Amino acid sequence: MPLPQCATPTTTDWSSRIIPTLGAIAAVYLIAVPLAMLIYAAFRGPADFLPFEAGAQWTVDNVRAVFTDPIMYGEIIPDTLTFVAGTVCLTTVMALAMAWLIERTDLPYRGVWFALIIFPTLVPIVVQAIAWILLLSPNAGWINRLIRVATGWSGKGPVDVFSMAGLIFCQSLSVAPFVFLQFSATLRAMNPAFEDASRGSGASTWTTLRRITLPVLLPGLLAPIILITLITFEQFELPLIIGLPGGINVFAYRIYNELNPASGLPNYGRAAAISLPFLAMGLLALLAYNHAIRNAEKFVTVTGKAYAQRRIPLGAWRWPAYGFLGFYVGFAAILPALILLWTSLFGFSVPGSVPLDQASLASYRQLFADPLLWRAVRNSFTVAILSALIVTLLGALIAWIVTRSTFSGRWLLDALSFMSLGIPAVITGLAVMVLYLSVPIGIYGTVWILVIAYSYRLAVSTRLSRATIMQVHKELEEASEAAGARWLTTQVRILLPLIMPGLVSAFLLLFIIGMREFTLPFVLYSQENVVMSVLIWQFFQGGEPARSAALATLMIAIVLPLVVFARRYLVSRGAGE
Amino acid sequence: MLTVTRLEKSFATEDGPLRVIDGVSFTVPDGQCYALLGPSGCGKTTTLRCVAGLEEPDAGRIEIAGTVVYDSAARIAVPTNQRPIGIVFQSYAIWPHFDVFENVAYPLRVARPRIARGEIEDRVMAVLDLVGMRDLAKRPAPRLSGGQQQRVALARAIVRRPKLLLLDEPLSNLDARLRDYMRKELADLIERIGITALFVTHDQAEALSLAQRVAVMNEGHLIQEGAPREVYSAPATAFVAEFIGGSNIVEGRVASRNDARAQVALQGGGPVFEIDMEATPGETVNVLFRPEGIRLSTTPVEGGNVLSGTISASIFTGSVIDYTVALAGGLRLRVIAPSDQQFERGTAVWLTVRDVRGLKREHPPSGT
Ligand SMILES: Nc1ncnc2c1ncn2[C@@H]1O[C@H](COP(=O)(O)OP(=O)(O)OP(=O)(O)O)[C@@H](O)[C@H]1O
Ligand SMILES: [Mg+2]
Repeated sequence: MPLPQCATPTTTDWSSRIIPTLGAIAAVYLIAVPLAMLIYAAFRGPADFLPFEAGAQWTVDNVRAVFTDPIMYGEIIPDTLTFVAGTVCLTTVMALAMAWLIERTDLPYRGVWFALIIFPTLVPIVVQAIAWILLLSPNAGWINRLIRVATGWSGKGPVDVFSMAGLIFCQSLSVAPFVFLQFSATLRAMNPAFEDASRGSGASTWTTLRRITLPVLLPGLLAPIILITLITFEQFELPLIIGLPGGINVFAYRIYNELNPASGLPNYGRAAAISLPFLAMGLLALLAYNHAIRNAEKFVTVTGKAYAQRRIPLGAWRWPAYGFLGFYVGFAAILPALILLWTSLFGFSVPGSVPLDQASLASYRQLFADPLLWRAVRNSFTVAILSALIVTLLGALIAWIVTRSTFSGRWLLDALSFMSLGIPAVITGLAVMVLYLSVPIGIYGTVWILVIAYSYRLAVSTRLSRATIMQVHKELEEASEAAGARWLTTQVRILLPLIMPGLVSAFLLLFIIGMREFTLPFVLYSQENVVMSVLIWQFFQGGEPARSAALATLMIAIVLPLVVFARRYLVSRGAGE
Repeated sequence: MLTVTRLEKSFATEDGPLRVIDGVSFTVPDGQCYALLGPSGCGKTTTLRCVAGLEEPDAGRIEIAGTVVYDSAARIAVPTNQRPIGIVFQSYAIWPHFDVFENVAYPLRVARPRIARGEIEDRVMAVLDLVGMRDLAKRPAPRLSGGQQQRVALARAIVRRPKLLLLDEPLSNLDARLRDYMRKELADLIERIGITALFVTHDQAEALSLAQRVAVMNEGHLIQEGAPREVYSAPATAFVAEFIGGSNIVEGRVASRNDARAQVALQGGGPVFEIDMEATPGETVNVLFRPEGIRLSTTPVEGGNVLSGTISASIFTGSVIDYTVALAGGLRLRVIAPSDQQFERGTAVWLTVRDVRGLKREHPPSGT
């Protein structure tokens, strides 16, 4: 065996240093650079000048203008907080009840309910929002018409979706499935011995639930609850589509408004200045989230292992359970799907007012004849696939650096990628916009700026990959090294195949997130880089509900089979074991 | 040949650096099997990992087959993949995404310069033959039993004909029966291929039966080194005596001495023992009785080196019975007797000590 007579530490594989270093640089570039630009922009003026533009100078005008604005204290902050708090309460109650019914009771048809509950996670929020407007708008909403016919109510309403209550209701319907998945996992991971021990000590089912189950689960439930806060806080679509007509003014919309004022030029500095406190709030919530998951990990209940749970018999309580689940699934999945399909065929006409044989495929035909559609389809796929690929690989690399390497700055990298979870999408959109308007590399307005902007969500992949890598026993890699393999060979031939299932699920998840994304492509919109979700909204806003609904239906028809096909990668691992 | 010289290694922990290896030196001659033996956490695995290059020592020098692979003074640290070694890991680390053949072929596939396909095939099959796994070459790794995994791990470690074989607790993952069987297989195999081997274990039976030389480690220090019989019969310290064979250690006082023999009175009274040792009268020493070097009887025995007491506990283990005997002076001794010698608790017994040793008290007796 040829061996170098002696070698110094510097002769180790260059690849083991270069590749992680490049990964680290890319992560910093995707997250830290736009943020730095944003902060810089907040202190540059005047008004519509870009931070590096000739004539721009240091100023605190933006910050002062924003913080002395009475609207900030009278509307934006209270509205944002009410929206978040209301959604957190409603979603927690709904999602927890659903998770408990599915995981811990003998409810019949659990598999079907489960599928129906998580179906909305595939549907872009714009699509949901449009469906809810069609269902619940005070004038023409189907539900309102139905109530009016049934009760003889006159005038508008009685339900008004364009209100804070309506906004909270819609937002809760839309985040509930995500939290439901996490609550379910927590419930599955609870060791039933805790409850058995309580029953064995003579406690009743109810006492056990109150004194044992809930306190033991609490740390595991806290993290998802904070996650609702984060998701709702950065929500843009619903405040734009449902909140705005109801006069609700959350910060995400306000930032957008500074960039696209009704009259005059965009004010980048002002938009950046508004971002700052909300960026801080997002990161604060993120810290709380981090603390909560650490706590939950420390707690014995969350072991990642799924136990066979003993199910509580519902008896006659299953009828109210059906009622509750039916209400949720009806409003979140079934009615929206029906109304979109109907609208794509009949436009604004309601059932009963048109003979069924007047259904028309005209809107589909128009749609397919429109070159804009094909551009949007191509863009959606390009951006979703490329960004999912970038984030999966980069996230895995960062996860590797954090778990396996001894790079000194690795905690910083970890923090940075985790931070992406707390940065609202509108703020990312703004930061990326200011950056590429300032740096003339010609990607502004193209799909490439979307690929880069989408790729900031590193945390999704880092967290998934980290869990996967930690499951690979380190000796498997050491055995390869000891067999004489170089660093890169070990990574490619041993580690990569072993973490592949984890990477595939991260990719799929990111692909779905990419297809649903609306905020980034809307903020960074141009004729050239239009994507499907934005086009749906443009059609709807332009008074073409049938075409909008047709495109929405089409989009679901594309995503749904993909996901059904790949579901074994998406269903949480705990369920299978 | 493997030479390890003044190896040192600390780990950074939350409460400052933790010294895990403290100046360990030893040499494994060509073709010999050398065992590092010691209690859990004494630094055996860390020593092995330093030799493998999986851990970088803080100081010292490691030479494998005439090549310096680590030298802190000369700033040499050859990466693991360039050291001529094969490792059998404690977990076996069989790659689950390969079958048996691919697991074993891997070291040859990644070798540079490249090895021809045909040759890889031949060499892998030859090694699988050697470990008795030829028929299972195509079996996926997740469907191997513990013993089969161990064979594959071994085959993989020797397939590229390394100069040094490293084994970390190679038998600890097997159940007791299989462990005995594989121990013989392993000893046989290592001898047949004539490889230099370093292995790590906390099981003294394993070390004594597999290795030509053993080294006993404790808290990062190498305490005694020698042939198995030597270490067993002449432990250098109370720790070694206790660790190998679980000796009874009793304090005694040297009453007088003549020639090379010392007369030692036990702490709790009783007869005076004549022991071969250097000692000055009045000195306190440790007296060692091997549990299997004591004979029990229910009738009084005449002569020297006899103690009396009552049976206070017994554990039946099948081939032998492990008794605890309470002596008149309050001492308790462990005695291992053949299983046909059964006594009730409380039975009065006489103990004939056939194997007694004295040890200078450098370290106070630990534990029991
Ligand atoms: N990476 C590490 N970081 C910090 N401490 C470590 C690390 N690896 C080992 N140690 C500590 O070093 C000491 C020696 O560990 P080592 O694994 O060498 O013990 P061992 O003799 O192999 O024990 P065992 O028989 O239990 O395997 C232990 O106290 C262990 O906790
Ligand atoms: Mg060990």
